Amino acid sequence: MLKIFASLHLFFALCLALGSVFIYQTIFNAGPPVYGSPWFAALGALLAANVAACAGRRLRTASASFLFIHAGIVLVILGAFASRALRFEAELPLRTGTESDRVYSGNAVYQLPFSVKLVDFRLEYYGEPSGKLTIRDEAGGTDFPVKEGTELKLPAKGAEIKVLRLARDFGLTGKNEVADKSPYWHNPAAQVEITTGKKKEKLWLFANFPGMHREGLPFHISYGLENADIKNFTSAVLVRPSGGAAFSAEISVNKPLRTGGYTLYQSSYDPAEAGYSLLTVARDRGLWAVYAGFAALLTGLFLWLKR
Amino acid sequence: MAETINFFINAAFALALASLAASAAAYLLKRKAPQKAVPFLLAACWLALSAGLGLLWAKLGRPPLSNQYESLLTMLWFLFPLSAYFYRKFPVPEALWPAAFASPVIFGVAGLLDRTARPLMPALRSNWLILHVLSAMAAYAAFALAAVAAAAALAKKRAPEDEELLLRLAKTGFALLTLGIVTGAVWANTAWGAWWSWDPKETWSLLTWLAYAAALHLRKKGWRGNKFAALLVVCFALVLFTYFGVNFLLSGMHSYG
Repeated sequence: MLKIFASLHLFFALCLALGSVFIYQTIFNAGPPVYGSPWFAALGALLAANVAACAGRRLRTASASFLFIHAGIVLVILGAFASRALRFEAELPLRTGTESDRVYSGNAVYQLPFSVKLVDFRLEYYGEPSGKLTIRDEAGGTDFPVKEGTELKLPAKGAEIKVLRLARDFGLTGKNEVADKSPYWHNPAAQVEITTGKKKEKLWLFANFPGMHREGLPFHISYGLENADIKNFTSAVLVRPSGGAAFSAEISVNKPLRTGGYTLYQSSYDPAEAGYSLLTVARDRGLWAVYAGFAALLTGLFLWLKR
Repeated sequence: MAETINFFINAAFALALASLAASAAAYLLKRKAPQKAVPFLLAACWLALSAGLGLLWAKLGRPPLSNQYESLLTMLWFLFPLSAYFYRKFPVPEALWPAAFASPVIFGVAGLLDRTARPLMPALRSNWLILHVLSAMAAYAAFALAAVAAAAALAKKRAPEDEELLLRLAKTGFALLTLGIVTGAVWANTAWGAWWSWDPKETWSLLTWLAYAAALHLRKKGWRGNKFAALLVVCFALVLFTYFGVNFLLSGMHSYG
């Protein structure tokens, strides 16, 4: 039995089968991914058995590098199975000022052994974004950097444009007055006054909706932002463990928070709602096996190269 | 500064072309004199490229690793030290001229790519970026050298003079690719809480890894000489698809570079 599983021919067949599956999945498959199917899991299990049997057969004679590499591969595959079986992942949506210990995974709701309050959510830009108006005609487009009060004269078009007001996150108050909904550039807009001949027209141009309010204009005009790249986004939270002392923490991309056996990751935010933050809560009990496998594999490869 | 960066990178390109010309002259004229210039031309090329990349790093305020143009220059940067290392171990022209052939081609491809440097998106702002991309690019450089040396052996229709060189290059690339995949997995777990997501780039990297693992095992089963050389060329086609094809044809988490 060990001889069959330890066959190199089996290894080549598995490589061919897995390679074909990967090509099919990434290029041709439009349906559900194959990675969750039982037969794909069987291929993975067979590969682990094959590699383990190869290492087992040569246990007494093989070099340390051979054993480390093969043990590492087996550990990573077994860890992947353990991850799949034991992994917990759910979403924790929070609004500024709200606190929750409920997380959601599909239709299921789970309770965490701690609650999380979103104290503040911050977006950080690489620099202060700047606005620009683009006037476009058959010859192409011309950009004009603009601030509040900027006046543009376009003699070729017989028009003058005055920038009356700029909004970062355009919104309307209950009294129908324009006000920024947040300090972030989620819905940038410019109010302009366009004079053509004796006709004056005031209108709002929206960076996110370039087609709006364009009807009837003698030329194409749009508003946009430059240097609006987001550097980071961070949730400042207050974590209250059940029966423990509360503590403050910050969670941002690449800086998760580990607490109570769970890890909280900064997943996303909602440009339409500045105080909303989406955290992912995960606990992976198979991860240690995967990482042990990685360590063994890299150790083995290092020894292998030194030979 | 942009002009100085372009000057050094163009100078490196010119020196790479000169090393190709010297290698071609040595081969066609069957003279040793031009071949003697190749290591010096490649070293000068590497120094010019290092200066260009160093200045680009200073200009961007971050390592130049975040789009395909920058990563391709980084891959080129690894080509020369790898070539020099193996030339010391195997002092034959066949150990040097893969770099002389591959470098102008890669410079040419890099010249076709968009050079626009954009700020790093939040997920890329991590020290793992450096380790992950450097190991992947070093692996691709080793695989490129192995593929060119293998293709040359196949073109000459005789077994590679020094098959040990092909094997050592493939082994080095395989170990570095493993490091690249592992660091990518650890980084993904830090950023998203999932060490493997079956993203197309991940999947094709694993496919490439399996292909090289199979090639190295097939060699043990007796696939030596031209058979092993042909395997290395086929495997490198997978590397090219993983590096370029996935970015241009398939969408995923690696769409930026």
